[in-house]
Amino acid sequence: MRGARRSASLRVSLLVAAVISAMSLAAMGLQYRVTAQSLDARQAELLAADLASFAALYEQRRIVALREAIEFRVASTPPAQVLYLLTDRGAKLAGNIDAWPAGLAPNGSDFAATGAQVFALAGVEYVGVARELPGGFPLLVARARTDTLATLNDLRQLIGWVALALVAVSLLAGWGISRAVLGRIGRLNALADRVAAGDLSARLPAPARQDEFALLQDHIHAMLDRIEALNRATHRLSDSVAHELRTPLNRIQQRLAGLGEDDAALAVREEIRATVRIFDALLDISAAEAAQGQRPGLVPVDLSELAEELADLYEPLAEDEGMNLTTALEPGLHVLGERSLLAQLLTNLLENAIKYCRPGDEIRLGLWAEGDRIVLEVRDTGPGIPADLRGQMFDRFTRAERDRAKAGHGLGLALVQAIAARHGAKLLLPETAKGFAIRIVCPKLDATA
Amino acid sequence: MSTTPRILIVEDDAVAAQAMAEAARDVGAEPVLRATYADGLEAAKAGAYAVILFDRMLPGGDGVDAIAKVRAAGSTALVMVVSALGRAANKIEGLEKGADDYLAKPFDPDELRARLRALLRRTTMVALDNDVVAFGDLEIRMKARTVHVGTTHIAISPKEFKLLSYFATNAGALVTRMQLLEHVWNLHFDPQTNVVDVHVGRLRRKLEQVAGRPIIHTARGEGYVFDPVKVAE
Repeated sequence: MRGARRSASLRVSLLVAAVISAMSLAAMGLQYRVTAQSLDARQAELLAADLASFAALYEQRRIVALREAIEFRVASTPPAQVLYLLTDRGAKLAGNIDAWPAGLAPNGSDFAATGAQVFALAGVEYVGVARELPGGFPLLVARARTDTLATLNDLRQLIGWVALALVAVSLLAGWGISRAVLGRIGRLNALADRVAAGDLSARLPAPARQDEFALLQDHIHAMLDRIEALNRATHRLSDSVAHELRTPLNRIQQRLAGLGEDDAALAVREEIRATVRIFDALLDISAAEAAQGQRPGLVPVDLSELAEELADLYEPLAEDEGMNLTTALEPGLHVLGERSLLAQLLTNLLENAIKYCRPGDEIRLGLWAEGDRIVLEVRDTGPGIPADLRGQMFDRFTRAERDRAKAGHGLGLALVQAIAARHGAKLLLPETAKGFAIRIVCPKLDATA
Repeated sequence: MSTTPRILIVEDDAVAAQAMAEAARDVGAEPVLRATYADGLEAAKAGAYAVILFDRMLPGGDGVDAIAKVRAAGSTALVMVVSALGRAANKIEGLEKGADDYLAKPFDPDELRARLRALLRRTTMVALDNDVVAFGDLEIRMKARTVHVGTTHIAISPKEFKLLSYFATNAGALVTRMQLLEHVWNLHFDPQTNVVDVHVGRLRRKLEQVAGRPIIHTARGEGYVFDPVKVAE
């Protein structure tokens, strides 16, 4: 549960970060494109201006003027900024390179700045116009893109850093937001955990703001108030049942004592005792069910010792009935529990076994550890449980038709189940070739803890 | 015993209160009756009682909550809770909160008498730190945890010794099965089978085989009387 909660918070953080970063990156990308286009336009203008001035000179004195102008320009501009080349049938007439760049074909014969081509020469990128002037004079006018590229490169680097910072900041923001939101959900979850652990009166302090979370908290508080009230009412009811039924029964018993001691009075006394046992069992079942999953009231109990004591208590009784009660108890196994309830569980299982077995049967009480679990097993070679009863044997007042003659009310196993559930234990009914076996698998407690 | 011990009974049900008062008289004590929590607490704080019987669901409060207050007021009375809250969990709660005994309703008058006698015996008994407790020729050696009749040693299990010592501290008085379950086995619920009888039967046979006379007598209905010097009727 905790892991899922963390991953939800992580998901929200990442989502927020991703959305913020993606939007910012898109905006910066757009700006990069605009900048690149505008730089290219500036370069195209410079190139057009060059060409226009060459065009004017060419108008006046053709190739000669062009040649002089190129010589002059080459001498007056720093290297690797511009390229000029005018050739005549492969021979250089003027320019700052000696040979026509490979793969560059003249297109057209005018001085318009259209049809500019991008090419690389000696590691520098140029954009330029290649023409073949009338009479067979190829002319190349190009400007290096070095500055443009450097600017764009700077811009890209800037975008990179900004993006990195953005991701970091938005991750932080996402973490903050998810902490704020999920933190409040987390507090509600912690409250639910505390209630599940048995603290029905747990509540959160009043929220600072009236928002959806505050409303949710109010609803949960209202639910808990209601559960607490119902729980109290149930406890009161059990107490009242005990009081309202036991008090008149007590009067009956006191008046009975006044009538003298004969066999009939003894029989009635036994009936009263049996009646009290029934509602004790019912109240015990309800109490164990109500306390299910709650820590308060549970203490470390040496289950090995308790099982040994109860086996000692019942061994002579089994022997008198002609049965053989044996034990296989691993020593020193502790559980977190209520000693009295666990004793009742063991008593019910052993008494059941003794009740249903016949002379000559074996009853075996086993206790062992399996990993972090403790297995308690009662196994006998008696008549077992009728198949049609297996599904409902833990229901209250379930009794087999064939056992009607035996004493009992069908509450023993229902109580066993409730007590097992109170201790977070599972009941298993292993298949047996003969007789009946029941296992109670409960969480082990470290003896050192 | 110089004066008649007094027993305070705090109980709102008239029939139960009457039965308790009778039981108190039967054990040679003088009953004093109160019917509400406040009255009971006041009386318990003011008077000198040997034993106080406190109900739990009283008008005004729970007798278990009164125990600490009574003790704080300096009373040395032993407190027995007698209540319709009679499940094992209720009993353990009562005993943990300082009750000396806890009896569930409905109770048998014999059971109440037996428990009252046991409590009164505790209030008057001189500390039983003798190593050897003797009943005629039956000797129980507390430290060695052995029992002899004359010079013959009787082999008994540790549980049987615990059973015998509890009988010995209540020698001559009725001891009920429920008392034995509580004090010897530390179990506070009523099992369906009379499992205690089997254990008492075994101990009894071992003792009588050597002694040649009844040592533990069966009392009709509710329990046993340990009386090694009593002649069989």
